[in-house]
Amino acid sequence: MLDRKPHQSRRILPTLRSSAGSFLILLIALAGVVVLSLLLSKTPAKTLRYFFLGPLQNTYYFGNMLTSAIPLIFGGLGVSLAMRSGNFNLGGEGQIYSGALVTTLCAIYFAPLGLLGALLALCIGASVAGGLAGLSGFFRMKWNTSELITSFLISNAVVLVVNYLIAGPFMDPSTSLIATRKIPDSFRLSALLPPSNLSTALFFALVAVVAVHIYLYKTKSGYELRMTGLNSRFAKYGGINTKKFIVLPMFLSGFLYGLGGGFAIYGTYFSTIKEFSSGMGWNGLAVALIAKSRPSAVIPAALFFAYIEAGARSAMLHSDVTFEIAAIVQSIIFFFISSEVLLTLFEKKRREL
Amino acid sequence: MQFTIPILHSAVTIMTPLLLASMGGLFTELSGMLNIALEGLLLTGAFSSVVFTYYTGSMVLGTLLGIGCTMLLSAILASVTLNLKSNVFITGLAVNLFASGLTVVLSFYLFANKGVVVFDTIATLPLLGPPSLAKIPILGDIFIGHSLFVYLSWLLLGLSYIVLYRTPFGFRVRATGLHPEALSTLGMRPDRYRFASFLISGFTCGLGGALLTLNLGAFVPNITAGKGWIALVVIFLGNKTPIGLLIAAFIFGLADAFSNFAQGALNIPSDFILAIPYLFTLLAMVGSSIYAKKKGAIES
Repeated sequence: MLDRKPHQSRRILPTLRSSAGSFLILLIALAGVVVLSLLLSKTPAKTLRYFFLGPLQNTYYFGNMLTSAIPLIFGGLGVSLAMRSGNFNLGGEGQIYSGALVTTLCAIYFAPLGLLGALLALCIGASVAGGLAGLSGFFRMKWNTSELITSFLISNAVVLVVNYLIAGPFMDPSTSLIATRKIPDSFRLSALLPPSNLSTALFFALVAVVAVHIYLYKTKSGYELRMTGLNSRFAKYGGINTKKFIVLPMFLSGFLYGLGGGFAIYGTYFSTIKEFSSGMGWNGLAVALIAKSRPSAVIPAALFFAYIEAGARSAMLHSDVTFEIAAIVQSIIFFFISSEVLLTLFEKKRREL
Repeated sequence: MQFTIPILHSAVTIMTPLLLASMGGLFTELSGMLNIALEGLLLTGAFSSVVFTYYTGSMVLGTLLGIGCTMLLSAILASVTLNLKSNVFITGLAVNLFASGLTVVLSFYLFANKGVVVFDTIATLPLLGPPSLAKIPILGDIFIGHSLFVYLSWLLLGLSYIVLYRTPFGFRVRATGLHPEALSTLGMRPDRYRFASFLISGFTCGLGGALLTLNLGAFVPNITAGKGWIALVVIFLGNKTPIGLLIAAFIFGLADAFSNFAQGALNIPSDFILAIPYLFTLLAMVGSSIYAKKKGAIES
């Protein structure tokens, strides 16, 4: 037991040093909030107070912040899986949205089936989303079409088709919102922190993190997936069916996005409202990038992103800035998050010493 | 058939921002960088040109300042990507997110309006076309009577052909994409040519964006609506040559013009019509990759 301690500390220090760069980037982003508030707000102190403390000031804001982290966790996991296999899934927007719509419609249809119906609806919704992403994987496998661009294009078209379906054939005429009918009461997840929107969907998100972690690191298929992502040619010579690991990770990636949409319906929205998921897909991608495609790191990354959004929303409600400053802050993270120079800044210094 | 000529005429206007953006994107693409920031650069050009035109009262000055802003953003993109060694795909996404956020934030800050901002003091874009040329049947109806931007884009297309294939600078840009090590061995810095290519894409996107808003005399949030992405597809479909860009951009312009027309004339839900360019692009992408694969199979 004694000789394990130095070993552990040796492992912790490099991890800390390799994370220092990421923290630096997050600090730059937070500095961006301060600069934006000073430039754009007439009452910068008030804006900053609401931005940084608003999301934490009561259970309502805090619960809503956690709620918005849930689809980001699912999306972040989805993108991570695809990236680990060397694929890019840019279609999160359409996958969440279509997953949510199909889940809602199936849930209404399967109302008499109870719990089984709820699970079935969720699975069908997620599979449709997975199929959309899998299609891009199929194109790449078959004809080497860039999955990056096709997933984006399919998603854009799907968003418009879903918009049409919500506003047209499936619209609920009894509400003033452009939305589908609501799912049955028995399908709704119970609330955790009333009066906020937080529901037990949070636990399902955590389960998904564990499941993806186990899949990637403890199963043969997950190992083959990672090998294909690290070096596809090497994996092929090693006897791995690399073609399979173009379609499968894309499908799973879309499936996770679709689950994110489904749980957003079961836990928070109860009906598919027009454009309710706008931006969630992109933010899921950002979360995966910050987490460097590690499932366990997806949770803190999603919380950080949700915090920035909640902060911007709180600053918008209580001060004179608009919500879109969140997009600027997020873009600052995007700018620097992949920088080799910044990420290895602290590691290099150690080596030179 | 009486709709054909107006559709072709508007296709020429619609394709111009695509042509300009893809022209700049061609330089970055040939220098070996996948420039997905075209969308954000177009949006920046669109917003800043119309705002500067509003404040300066001059369309020329406004457009030049708008181009300046767009080039500044592309310079930031280039230096973050090249000097800080970032993934160009992710920094490109950053530019797109930044542009979509900043335009709304500034529009709210300057005009207290997050929606459509109409600048009624801005004159409409003058349309050029000597009557003698306009009288040429069919061709005159289609190609004459557009704004200066349209003719400028053709001029720039010719220029980019000359630069890419007839000047040392163009050779070096293309060499950077093909074999950067060879360039380094000869004592030249590949990153310099990449940086220059980013600046060129900033210039053309600024110009293309300016056409979008000055044509309307208004700024609409997310006015580019995927045009930058389609410009990227134009580059691939156009086989990465200037002439190819012209053909591909025209096809997209035509698809867009037709869907605008169909929206008015046929009873198809507007969401489906808006989806046409994306589906069309998808088909074209898949089709061209099948073609490339077949061709590759025959050659090898």
